[in-house]
Amino acid sequence: MGAPRTPDARASVAWLRRFARTTPGVVSVIAVAVAACCVIAGVVVAAQLDERIAEHDAVLDHSEPFAYAAQNLYVALSAADAAAASAYLAGLETPALHARYQQALADAASALADATAGATDANTRKSVAAISAQLAAYTGLIEAARANNRQLLPVGSAYLREASSLMQTSLLPGAEKIFTANLAAVDEDQRAVGSTPVVGLGLLAFVLVAIVVGSLILSRRTNRQFNLGLIVAATLVLVVIAWVVGATRLAASAIEHSRTDGTARFEQLAKARILAQQARTDETLLLIARGDITAGQITFLHRIEDLTKQLDTVHSAAAGGVKGWAQSHGNQVLAYLHGDYAAAVAEAIGTDPNGSAAQFAIVESTLRDEIEQTRATLRDRVATAGAFLAWSPTGTLVLMVFAAAATLVGLWPRLEEFL
Amino acid sequence: MRARIVTVLCVVVLAAAGCGSSSVPPPSVVIAPVDAQPSGAQEITTAPVAASADCGDREASLRPGPLPTPGAMPPGSPMAAIAERGRLIVGVDQNTYLFGYRNPATGQLEGFDIDVAREMARSIFGDPDRIDLRVVEAGQRESALEKGEVDLVARTYSITCERKKIVAFSTTYFNAVQRILALKGSGIDSAAKLAGKRVCAVKGTTSLAALLALNPRPTVMSVTSWTDCLVMLQQGQVDAVSTDDVVLTGLARQDPNVEVVGDSIAIEPYGIGVKKENTELVRFVNGVLDRMRDDGTWQRLYDANLRSLGPTPDPPTPRYQD
Repeated sequence: MGAPRTPDARASVAWLRRFARTTPGVVSVIAVAVAACCVIAGVVVAAQLDERIAEHDAVLDHSEPFAYAAQNLYVALSAADAAAASAYLAGLETPALHARYQQALADAASALADATAGATDANTRKSVAAISAQLAAYTGLIEAARANNRQLLPVGSAYLREASSLMQTSLLPGAEKIFTANLAAVDEDQRAVGSTPVVGLGLLAFVLVAIVVGSLILSRRTNRQFNLGLIVAATLVLVVIAWVVGATRLAASAIEHSRTDGTARFEQLAKARILAQQARTDETLLLIARGDITAGQITFLHRIEDLTKQLDTVHSAAAGGVKGWAQSHGNQVLAYLHGDYAAAVAEAIGTDPNGSAAQFAIVESTLRDEIEQTRATLRDRVATAGAFLAWSPTGTLVLMVFAAAATLVGLWPRLEEFL
Repeated sequence: MRARIVTVLCVVVLAAAGCGSSSVPPPSVVIAPVDAQPSGAQEITTAPVAASADCGDREASLRPGPLPTPGAMPPGSPMAAIAERGRLIVGVDQNTYLFGYRNPATGQLEGFDIDVAREMARSIFGDPDRIDLRVVEAGQRESALEKGEVDLVARTYSITCERKKIVAFSTTYFNAVQRILALKGSGIDSAAKLAGKRVCAVKGTTSLAALLALNPRPTVMSVTSWTDCLVMLQQGQVDAVSTDDVVLTGLARQDPNVEVVGDSIAIEPYGIGVKKENTELVRFVNGVLDRMRDDGTWQRLYDANLRSLGPTPDPPTPRYQD
């Protein structure tokens, strides 16, 4: 403030200026400046490391579980659609097929609740709300299809097709959007855990420079070459730098593993699982539509091709199941083209262990298990990164306070000489 | 004094900031209601083809020769090729109650068209079950025949001059009239009352073209199957459905709240579609239809499937072009 100083204040400022030019003044300034720098650097470094630990908690407690829930949501929705279509194909639905449909709905509702818990931004919450509303509409249409089917009214199949169309064009793309967004959040949080605390390291380097400059001035003024306190302080700062660099490097390497063996693989496997679900629904709908299967068949084969590529990239054990499935699907199409509808349906939803249903179940359960494993790897690596960082904020802060104390204690005798 | 002013200012600013943040709640999520429609439903404003082709008597078909004995088709004929394959492939519908629909209880296709198709198989093989029923959508009937995916199409297939340019038809085996299906008490009871209303029809059908030709023209929604139209009517997305009375009766049977109303908008003679070059097969089909008219099979099939349309009429009289 530009307020005019009182005569008293003006006098004390002038005295301070004069004092700062004297040797005890210089020693005091060095002592206070270095000690303050040590404490400030310590606090900043601790805060930055704390941030990384918070990000690590965020990955484990929020973003990763949300991405997992979003993946589950997609799969459960797809499974509900496939179950409803199978139940329709089977004529009057069996209790087992109905139970499968109900289970898929319960899974979808649970996954939706889990994914909602993570929805902090407006866009994700909007997607989740849209999925809730569409899911209610979807089940309504499925029940309309069932009620009409039970009265032997063909309009039931129209409701089923409408429901499936709602699923394929609105629900599933919505769920995919949430999954992609959540996975991006996981990746971002992971990067944050392993990032180098540049500002903190810069401050620590500045403290070292300050100590060196202080020592030089001191040696010129007092004719003493070294000050033990400043040497101890410098050593402590070096230890802190080593700790910070070491801990963040180790954490970064663990995070790198969690990203390549975890997140990236998780994404590939989840994509494969989604492709498998979509192909399965395509296959069932081909039979329900009972029309020209050319277009549907092209879509199915594209999905299987993508799926195979995807599984090859991640060396998944599900590849064998896909081969068996594609073979059974070929038989189904052959039966269909020869007009043997019953055989085609049996190939698609029958209980034959070589049939599409059984082979798809193998693909699905293999992918599910691999996703669980990958998830465990991801969490494990992130937890390891957290362990590397765990004591670093407290430790660095304590060491820097010690450095400040060493500076003050070391310079006190030099000051005492003038008292 | 100055310090006090600064303090007061700070307090005011902080209080104002506090008020601002507490009076505006975080934005709520707002989404539109879900309005699910049948897949592929869309509004149509122009007919895909001009329905103005003239071919004289559209119902006149090729005159049949003597019918060969089942199991002994003349060598080299298309029927012999079918016999060799072992099955007759017929394009049918699965969503038109009474004519071609899947009985949900048995999973089997049933209806008048299906039974007529089975009679064709009976005349070739002596066995009505040597048949492969393929579902074709209304808009795919011509291409399915052209590409040879099916031997015959028996699927509420109206004979028109337009279609006769691409495919061949048998003689008329059923006469339908285009009427209107609407909710009871909706006030819609004639084509004139459709003005300003939303009407549903299936893509690629003559009914759609007839609706677009109405003056004033209603809003026309096109879908892929007639049951989709009933769904849209039940969901309040259209006010009426218009097509052949037999199709509408089939839809009306599935919902007690709707009824078939109005006078005929157009006459729809149903024939069996055959690939245009396959004249021998056309003559054979006409021969089978003649047999059915003469030996009472036609009446029997009508009784079995279409009793709900009213008393059994006489079968349509065949007309030949030569």
